[in-house]
Amino acid sequence: MNSLRLGSYTFTSRLILGTGKFSSVSAMIEAVRASKAQLVTVALRRFNREQAEDDLFGPLSEIEGLTLMPNTSGAATAKEAVKAAHISRELSGSPFIKVEIHPNPHHLMPDPIETYEACKILAAEDFIVMPYIPADPVLAKRLEEVGCSSVMPLGSAIGSGQGLSTAEMVKIIIRESNIPVIVDAGLRSPSEACAAMEMGCEAVLVNSAVAVARDPAAMASAFAKAVEAGFDARNAGLMPRSGSAVASSPLTSFLGAAR
Amino acid sequence: MSTIHITLNGEKRELPSGSSVADLLKLECAESQKVAVVVNENIVRPDKRESAVLQENDQVEILVFAGGG
Repeated sequence: MNSLRLGSYTFTSRLILGTGKFSSVSAMIEAVRASKAQLVTVALRRFNREQAEDDLFGPLSEIEGLTLMPNTSGAATAKEAVKAAHISRELSGSPFIKVEIHPNPHHLMPDPIETYEACKILAAEDFIVMPYIPADPVLAKRLEEVGCSSVMPLGSAIGSGQGLSTAEMVKIIIRESNIPVIVDAGLRSPSEACAAMEMGCEAVLVNSAVAVARDPAAMASAFAKAVEAGFDARNAGLMPRSGSAVASSPLTSFLGAAR
Repeated sequence: MSTIHITLNGEKRELPSGSSVADLLKLECAESQKVAVVVNENIVRPDKRESAVLQENDQVEILVFAGGG
């Protein structure tokens, strides 16, 4: 019960780390190690012989117990995303695919229609499909029905650091879903990741908040602790809210004075 | 020596006739790392790269994993 199940895979870590925007490959690798993440995202890009050091496959494959989840970033249509998924599976040997289709570079909001079409195809091809979606409970349910292994609603716009601005919608998605709900995008601080886990998310995906921190490895470690704390707190059972004070110390028999 | 013309990652390239995908990877210094190769929309797996001979006007993509969220 303490492991995260995605398709036929199980993970003890509930923090999924993105590998973009780090100042160097070594900073990224240190952060991945510090995060104890077992699932990390990568993006497919054209090989450039002048920048061969940009290739992350080698460095990431040296970390034991790590599974790659390629994303389809760059795809603007379902067709492009499916093509990227096929190439990524060939390269990674991993069945995981983060379906990410955002045609507008200004807001990077996922296209729900193309995302749905791509997921339908990829789920039928036995990928472990992890779609990045707007926080829409109806879409989330439809994606569950076509065989996605999770849904990943955005907390706020990619890289914005605006936190869990979609919290109320994410709560509805969690209530209605039979597959893991993972908040992906927009988180800025470990407390927000903790809140997402307390709310009932099965994992969180973080990239920018770690990558652009002054000390990415320390921030990765902080996120890992927050995710674990939030998960433990949810399982421990949060106390109910009350509209008024409820005393935690006895209010009678104070120093023998009768009142 | 006769040559062929291909498009590699969006750029025009000239290669000796009879070049295979494996030859191209050596030429690009990409033979020692893990890459995906797509020729005219078809993925060419590692065990087929020696025998896959490139043709005039082939569209070739060599891809790797970069950082991404």
